[in-house]
Amino acid sequence: MSLVEVSGIVTGYTPGRPALSGVTFSLDAGEAVAVLGPNGGGKTTLLRLLLGELPVMAGTCAVEGSPAYVAQAGRARLDFPVSALDVVLMGAYARTPAWRRLGRGERERARAVLDRVGLAPQAGTRFGALSGGQRQRVLIARALLQDAALLLLDEPFTGVDRASEAGLLAILDELRAEGRGLLVSTHDIDHARRWDKVLCLNGAQIAFGAPADALTAQALHATYGEELVTLGEETVAVHSHHDHG
Amino acid sequence: MELLESELLRRALAEVVLLGVVCGPLGVWILHLRHTYAAESLSHAMLPGLVLAALAGVPIVLGASGGIVVAALLIALAARDRRIGSELAVAVTVGALFGLGVALALAPDTPARLGELLFGDPLGATDGDLAVAAGLGLVVLVALGFGGRALRVTAFDAGSARSLGVSPGRTTAGLLVLLGVAIVASVQGLGNLLVLALLVAPAAAALRASDRLVVQLRLAALFGAIAGAGGMELSYVADVAAGPSVALVACALAVLASLRPGRAAARPGRGPIEGLAGGH
Amino acid sequence: MFVAPVDALVDPFTTPYMQRALLAVVLLSVAGGLFGAWIALRRLAFFTHAVGTATFPGLVVAAPAGIAAPVAAMGAALIYTAGLARLLRDGRLRADAATGLLLVAALAIGSILAGDVFASGAGVDRLLFGTLLGLSDTDLWLAGAVALLALLSTALLGRTWLATGFDPGGAGALGVPSRLGDWLLLGGLALAVVASLPAVGALLVSTLLVVPSATARLLAGSMRGLLLGGVGLALAEGICGLWLADGANLPPGPAIAVLGGVVFAAVALVREAT
Repeated sequence: MSLVEVSGIVTGYTPGRPALSGVTFSLDAGEAVAVLGPNGGGKTTLLRLLLGELPVMAGTCAVEGSPAYVAQAGRARLDFPVSALDVVLMGAYARTPAWRRLGRGERERARAVLDRVGLAPQAGTRFGALSGGQRQRVLIARALLQDAALLLLDEPFTGVDRASEAGLLAILDELRAEGRGLLVSTHDIDHARRWDKVLCLNGAQIAFGAPADALTAQALHATYGEELVTLGEETVAVHSHHDHG
Repeated sequence: MELLESELLRRALAEVVLLGVVCGPLGVWILHLRHTYAAESLSHAMLPGLVLAALAGVPIVLGASGGIVVAALLIALAARDRRIGSELAVAVTVGALFGLGVALALAPDTPARLGELLFGDPLGATDGDLAVAAGLGLVVLVALGFGGRALRVTAFDAGSARSLGVSPGRTTAGLLVLLGVAIVASVQGLGNLLVLALLVAPAAAALRASDRLVVQLRLAALFGAIAGAGGMELSYVADVAAGPSVALVACALAVLASLRPGRAAARPGRGPIEGLAGGH
Repeated sequence: MFVAPVDALVDPFTTPYMQRALLAVVLLSVAGGLFGAWIALRRLAFFTHAVGTATFPGLVVAAPAGIAAPVAAMGAALIYTAGLARLLRDGRLRADAATGLLLVAALAIGSILAGDVFASGAGVDRLLFGTLLGLSDTDLWLAGAVALLALLSTALLGRTWLATGFDPGGAGALGVPSRLGDWLLLGGLALAVVASLPAVGALLVSTLLVVPSATARLLAGSMRGLLLGGVGLALAEGICGLWLADGANLPPGPAIAVLGGVVFAAVALVREAT
C-alpha cells in the first residue's frame, strides 16, 4: 500500500521563495526511506510538508492518513516536569476530546509501548533525566501510541551514543517488519545503506532509489559538497554533524 | 532655539543628548548579545538603592551604584538554579527588589519623591550631575572602543572565540558592567523606568537602518542624540514632562525605522508564544 | 495565652475593606497559581510583566474618560499586543527589543497623561502599586470570573499547552490545536493581568502571577505539583502580604512582592543546602 506519493513538489516557508523543489518519490507500507542532506538542505522542510504544515507551491503530494512525527530529542524541553510516561501519553491527545481525561486503557497502552522500546522501568522517570538515546526511544514510543501507519523521524540518531544507536536501529527494523512506513532523515550514510531506499536532498532532489543506485560518489558529492570526508577507499562519512554522547 | 537660552534647560539638554550618545552604541551591543531583558531588569531592580539614597540625602549616583551591584548579584544568584532559568529568576528578583524600593519610598512619613526616581527629572540636574554623567559616559565609550573586537567575536562567532583569544564569558560580564554604569549615569535624567528607552530604542532603529556594525554603532549614537534633543524640544513646546518625552521620541524613532519591510521569513513551529518567550 | 497573638493576626481581617481585599486575593491566587504554571513553563514572565505595565496609560485615562477601568486596561493591553505583533511581523524588530520598547513607551505615555494632561496626582500610586481600600464590587466579580476561567482553561487546554510547550516543532503532528491554544493562553493571561490590577497595580502583576509559581517550580516534580503548589504559595503569600500591607500602611503590591521574593530565596537556599 502506498503511504506517500510525491511528484515534482515545490515548497518553502515564504511565498515566492521555495526552500525545496523538484522532489519526486514514493514510500510504501513496510518500507524505510532514508533522507540525506546537509543542514538547511531541506530534510526538515520535507518532513514538515508531509505533515501538512507547509504549502504545496507546485507538484502533487499525497499522504495516507496522519503521519506520526518523531522530533529530535534535543529539541524538546528537558526541564519540563513530565515523566517518560507523560510524554508517551501525549500520543493519545489527538484521539481524546479535551474534556475527557486519559483513562486507564490509554495508560496501559502507553506502558505497553514503553515496554516495547525497552523503557518500562523508566516510566516514572523525569524525561530530562534520561539519556539521549532513552529520550529518543520515548519519543518513538509516543509516535507508536499514535498508532500511525507512517512515521517521520527527524534525525533520530543525533546526540545518541553508540550503544543506544543499535537499540534504536533494532526498533526501526521491527516497525518496518510490522508493515509501517518510515521516513528517516539522517546524516549517517551507513544507516542509509541498510534501508530500502535513499532520498538525497540539497535544496532540490539529487537522487532517489535503492542505496546501491542512489549512493553514488557523484550523488553524495552533489548532496554534501565539501562536508564529505573519504576514509580509505569506500567508507564515506559526513564531517562534523554527528554528535555522539 | 529657546531651549538654549536658560541655563537650566541647557544643562538638561546637554545631559540627555550625552546620555543618548552613550546609550546608543551600548544598546547596539545589548541587542546583538541579547541582553535586553537584563537591561530592563537591572534598571528596575536598582530602585531600593535610589530610594535609600534619596531618603538619606545622599547623591543619587551612589544609591544607583549600590542598588545595581546588589541587584546584579541577586539576579546572578537566582539564575543559578537550572530549573528556573534566567527569565524566571530575573522576574522574581526584580519584582521583589522593585517592590522593596516602592515600600521603602511610600512607608515613611516623608515619602521620597518616587515619581522623579521612576520617571526622571532632567531639569533637576546640577552641574555636578552633568559632570558625573559625562565622566561615566566617557568611561563607557572608551571601554566599548577597546572592547570592540571582543564584543564582535562574542556576538557573531562565539564558537571561534577562544581560538581568537577572546573569552565570551568575560566579555559578556564586562558588557553588563558597562550597562550598569550607563544606567547609573542615566537615572537622573530618565528615572529608572525609562532608562531602557535610550538603551534599546536608538539601537533598534540603527539595526533596522543598516546591516553593517560600524554604521549601526554610529547611527545609534546619532539617533540617541536626536532622541535627547527632540525629546527636550517636545517637552518644552508641549509643556510636558521631560524624561517621558525623551523616552517617547526614542521609541518613535524605533517604530519609524521598523516601517521598513523586514527580511526574515516566517518559521513554522513558531507559534505566537515561541516568538514572545523570554530567556535563552 | 494564645489569644493575644492570634488576635493580632486575625483582627486586621475583621474590617470590611480587608475582607474584600482578602476575597480578591484568594480569587486572584487561584488564577495566579494556575496561569502562573504556564507562565513559568512557557517563559512568559517578561511578557506578563510587560502587559501589566502596558495597561498603565489605559488606567490613567479611564476615570477622566468615563470608561470602566478594566475595560480601559484591556483596551490598552490589546493595543500593546497588536502593536507588538505588528513590530514583530517579518522580523522587523527583535522580540525582546520590541517588547521592552513598547513597555517603556506605555510608561512614558501614562506618565505624561497622568502628570501633565489629567493631573492625576497621588492617584497614580494606586494605579501603579494597587490598593487595599478601594476594591469595588466589579473588581471582585472580575477576580472571580478569572479564577473560574483559570480552572476551566487548565482543565480543557492544559494538555494542549503542555504538549505545545514541551516540543513546539512536534506538537502539530500530535493533533493538538497548538496555535489556537496559544492564542487562548495569551488571552487568558491578559485577562488575569487586568483582573490583578486593582489589588497589586500595573507594575507588580508578577507578584501573584509569576513569583509563587516560580517558587513552586523549584519544588514540583510534576505538572499537578506545579499547579497546586503555585496556588498554595500564591494564597499564602497573598494573605500574609495583605496583613503586612495593612500593618505597614502600604499598598498590597509591594508588600506581597517583597514577601514573595523572601520566600523564593528561602526555598532556593534550602534546596541548595540539601
